[in-house]
Amino acid sequence: MPGLATTEANTSASAFPVVSFDICETYASFLKNEELSPPLAAILALSKLIETSDAGTMLELVKALNDGAGALKASTSNPISLNAGCELFIAFVTLLPHDSASFSDLKLELVRQGQKYAAEALTYRDKIASLALGFIKDDSVILTHSYSRVVMKTLLRAHERKRISVYVTEARPRGLGLRTYEELTAAGIPCTVVLDSAVSYVMDKVDFVLVGSEAVVESGGLINAVGSNQIAIIAQAANIPFYALAESYKFHRLFPLSQYDLPTHTSNILSFPLSSGGNVTSPPTAGGIKPLHEKSTNAGCIRQMTPEQIACNPGVDYTRPDLITLVFSDVGSLTPEGVSQYVVGMFAG
Amino acid sequence: MSATATITMSALPSKSTIKLAPAQSHAEASSSQAQNQPPKSQKQMTKAERREQQERQRAAKAATKAAGPQPSGSNQNSAQVKKGAPPAASTSASVKKGGKGPDGKPTKDTKETTSDDSARGLRIFSHFGLPKPPGPSKGDIHPAIIRLGLQFSEFKIVGANARCIATLTAFKTVIQDYVTPPNNTLSRHLLTHLSPQITHLVSARPMSVTMGNAIRELKLEISGSDIDLPEQDAKNLLCQKIDDYISERITIADQVIQETAGTKIKDGDVILTYARSSVVEQVLVGAWDDGKQFSVVVVDSRPMLEGKKLLSVLCAMGIPCTYLLLPSIGSVITEVSTVLVGAHSLHSNGAVFSRAGTALVAMMAKQHSVPVVVCCETYKFAETIQLDSFTKNELAPAGDIFSSFPLTRSKDTLTLNKQLNLEILNPLYDLTPPSSITAVVTEVGVIPPSSISSIPLALGRTTL
Repeated sequence: MPGLATTEANTSASAFPVVSFDICETYASFLKNEELSPPLAAILALSKLIETSDAGTMLELVKALNDGAGALKASTSNPISLNAGCELFIAFVTLLPHDSASFSDLKLELVRQGQKYAAEALTYRDKIASLALGFIKDDSVILTHSYSRVVMKTLLRAHERKRISVYVTEARPRGLGLRTYEELTAAGIPCTVVLDSAVSYVMDKVDFVLVGSEAVVESGGLINAVGSNQIAIIAQAANIPFYALAESYKFHRLFPLSQYDLPTHTSNILSFPLSSGGNVTSPPTAGGIKPLHEKSTNAGCIRQMTPEQIACNPGVDYTRPDLITLVFSDVGSLTPEGVSQYVVGMFAG
Repeated sequence: MSATATITMSALPSKSTIKLAPAQSHAEASSSQAQNQPPKSQKQMTKAERREQQERQRAAKAATKAAGPQPSGSNQNSAQVKKGAPPAASTSASVKKGGKGPDGKPTKDTKETTSDDSARGLRIFSHFGLPKPPGPSKGDIHPAIIRLGLQFSEFKIVGANARCIATLTAFKTVIQDYVTPPNNTLSRHLLTHLSPQITHLVSARPMSVTMGNAIRELKLEISGSDIDLPEQDAKNLLCQKIDDYISERITIADQVIQETAGTKIKDGDVILTYARSSVVEQVLVGAWDDGKQFSVVVVDSRPMLEGKKLLSVLCAMGIPCTYLLLPSIGSVITEVSTVLVGAHSLHSNGAVFSRAGTALVAMMAKQHSVPVVVCCETYKFAETIQLDSFTKNELAPAGDIFSSFPLTRSKDTLTLNKQLNLEILNPLYDLTPPSSITAVVTEVGVIPPSSISSIPLALGRTTL
């Protein structure tokens, strides 16, 4: 009887709140592990889904996986890197040769493979750090953007042997650049926070730019925290190399034709306020200082954006492949064209 | 000096008239010998004198021989001017003729001018060749192929996909009607049987890349067919393979492209397309059927005006359309969200070979940061590399055979005819460089133009 109950519960797994297995909760719990990035957490969550799934055939299993992936995508506003992990895992499941004795054996095998992959993927950051090390010369001045675990690992590894100094952008509105600043300073690396608007001011002092990534897309371009595209354009104008660090599970089949072709672009973003106050609170008139929502460090009035205003802004942007010099990945150091060839080869077969 | 002068002077006649009157020359020589010593014996002349003599003889030779056919040469010159060759060509030709004269072929040149004026006139693109009506068929050409050749040469069937499908369908008929002669195998003899048919089609109109790829696959299938199979079974198998090829690489591929490219069309978009591509038509119709609200700008160009066909199809569906000619594209490009074009063929370096004018549209779009999406099936890939539009191209025939202009004026007044100083040049294709293209949509996915060469490897094929 309990088995039956769970079966019924599982077949309706497409709905969110399910008694036995909730993929979003599982995903959230995996994400709590600092080391795991969204794609890996997604892969582990999907493996768990297979474990607890009661599908009898491959078709049912793939359908359950797709439903689970759909639920995960719907639960977050920026599903891109999550998508990359889901697609990779589902492609892996469908392409695995079925030579197991029974279906349950196959499921066990899939779960095992998923977990093994996730464990191995945690070593990718070290691989990338060692690869990028060769490109960092002694006494380099590096510019980085926002906070990225891969970049942190690389910088800390470089600091062991060489002298580096780092400029990091503030990366508003989330301000993750400040976290980078804290961690680097704690490790003893000279670091300065730079305003997002001062990147072109600082660019001529920089030897190269190093950024992490949320996803690397099929065109060879990069999806990263908003501001990366600006930095890339300025770097190209100043003839400074722009390096991106990305693990191979972040390679995604997406092909955005422009900034507005991203799945994260909604009609709300960059929209103008309606005069009847539908969208945003009253436009700034008569020196109306908005109540400060964040602490101001200076005595003079520093204005801050309201949360509604911030909501009109994108969270990620797309950097075109011709602006990127090299992409460092666990499969090697690739040019953007090489990335697209790798992605095509991986998914087209 | 005067002695040498007289020597050389007398030496001249002796040389030139040697054939005519040896006795005479001897007499002259002896008389000159009587006068001064060494007319014939050149050993006794100094080196400089000998050289002088040689130069003079050479000049005299050229003069006499130019003088000979000169009257006929000038006739040819006037004939050329009448027939409308550009003046520059005629002067250079006459110099050539003067030089050619001694080779003895003035008559051949006149024949050339009379036969094909236009080929002479198109000096830079003469390697394209001009479309000619298919000549009398040599050998046993199947009536289906003859009909097809005629349709090709009159441009009744246009478009890479349409031509390929028509060719393969005609070949199915040929294969079914084919009878293996005794003491021969189907797999070997059918190939030799098909060769003249293919040649006939090529003579009607140069083969498209799609036809080339399809025929290559067909030949591979034929040569691989089982010898032990009874003839009718082998023929049925081949026809089945042809059907599979059409279905898999054209029809179904088009459906996949329609779905994939359809995701790039959003509500409120303005899609620009050029001329008529069968795939783009399918994509637009499919997206409209899915309920997306968008509008289309159809850009067209003479002489073929293929966009009109696309326009009629789209308007019949109720899609809001704008129609304009290529020169006006600058005024609308800022309103466009995406450019969608088709291709005749796709090359390994990522360049797209498509209807003449596509390159302009793509480059203009790139300039205004409008994404350019090319819809192309994988069977259109050519493994060659093409760097420019004029190494390999095709000319449209002169005359207004394509247009369906509203006939307020008679067709004759609309066609541009060759005149005295005017040559009409209508290449059919041009090359869009990979830098102007954002993405290529194929049935295996959306790929950037730089990765095209990795597709066959990814699919596990050795050839496309």
